[in-house]
Amino acid sequence: MSIMEYNGGSVIAMVGKDCVAIASDLRLGNQALGIASDFEKIFPMTDRVYLGLPGLATDVTTLREQFRYRLNMYTIKEEREIEPETFAHLVSSTLYERRFGPYFIEPVMAGLQRLPNGGYKPFIAATDLIGCINFAKDFVVAGTASSKLFGVAEGLWEPDLEPEDLFETIAQTLLNAVDRDAYSGWGAVVHVITKDKAIKRVLKGRMD
Amino acid sequence: MPDTAHEQPQQRQFYPYTENGGTILAIAGADFTVIAGDTRQSEGYSIQTRYAPKVFRLTERAVLAVNGFAADGNMFVKKVKQRLEWYRHAHAKEMPLRAIARLIQTMLYAQRFFPYYVNNILGGIEEDGSGAVYSFDPVGSYEREACRAAGAASSLVQPFLDNQIYFKNQTPAPGTPHPTYLPLPDVLAIVIDSFTSATERHIEVGDGLEMYVVLAKGRSIEELADVAGVQELTTRADGDRMFVIQRELKKD
Repeated sequence: MSIMEYNGGSVIAMVGKDCVAIASDLRLGNQALGIASDFEKIFPMTDRVYLGLPGLATDVTTLREQFRYRLNMYTIKEEREIEPETFAHLVSSTLYERRFGPYFIEPVMAGLQRLPNGGYKPFIAATDLIGCINFAKDFVVAGTASSKLFGVAEGLWEPDLEPEDLFETIAQTLLNAVDRDAYSGWGAVVHVITKDKAIKRVLKGRMD
Repeated sequence: MPDTAHEQPQQRQFYPYTENGGTILAIAGADFTVIAGDTRQSEGYSIQTRYAPKVFRLTERAVLAVNGFAADGNMFVKKVKQRLEWYRHAHAKEMPLRAIARLIQTMLYAQRFFPYYVNNILGGIEEDGSGAVYSFDPVGSYEREACRAAGAASSLVQPFLDNQIYFKNQTPAPGTPHPTYLPLPDVLAIVIDSFTSATERHIEVGDGLEMYVVLAKGRSIEELADVAGVQELTTRADGDRMFVIQRELKKD
């Protein structure tokens, strides 16, 4: 019995042209038994930084609260909101703190990095369960459907997608990947983040 | 005689199977079939060879792709070919595709308690002239399908095929239903994309790509005319036609 597959679930993030998207399924299971179809794994950290937490459900809740606390402390101390790249290192160090008794979560981050000239740069990253960061330039995946997500994303993704096309790409990638994974699925949610708005769409999917 | 009383008991075992990586894939069209496989053969992290075919011509209208344990695969293909030769001698004709599929089932199930460690995909042209793909599990359970991926990167490729061949999770515009079968150029493009994607993300896939194309009798070969690296394998002028297309894949 693998702890990483105990509750199931998958997350993916993609880079587009001046935008990023992050999406996940909505399943919460107890091994093969489905428990809930409204279990969200993606949480807004700021207006421009989103965090996905696939893995052991109890640690999803724990880490979400942990990051809420640490982010509040950062915001009070610095008197500004955190940048995505800084947040990735916060995630990394939080997980590495538990190097020999880890949280069973493989976080995925997506956000827009503020540039000195006032513009924004798309940012995505993922880490393993002990906080080793992967700063990918195209897409990152995690969860029980990760190998399927890799296959579909590698086939569908292309550089410089506009927000609407990026939404379609990430939605199709996620939906088709989780349909081949028994531990993921039961609906999906997609967040598309641009410089002036973040759109959340809840998708219907196969319920088997 | 040496005193062996103090020695620890030793255990030895022989494991008769190996996993040799690679991926195979077949897609059926209305009047053609494409059967493809990469050519890398590996054991663990070592590449044994960059060119070990996994796709084999059985008859002038049937192609078999075999993936899993290479030694078993090669021996299985050899035995299937032998049975097909016996059939030719006994009946003075080629065995039809659906009969080859049933033969493969019987041959695999005959080894139910010491199986050939392979996934088979059989592709070709049916007696009615339609393109067909049959996929098998190692003990002979089989099914006719429009497309199938098997092997090391099957989990990467199959959901992509669900989306691009079966149009899963796609809603057609009103009055324009999804096509049941795709045209040959589209199928070839999807096969090449599937293997380049699998090569990118799976260490056991790469080196070369071999795509067999079987065209039903009388079908135009126009769509294959400007394809790079195509070679005709047809033996009879009045029957179905067979081609092989060879492409390079990344070698890292």
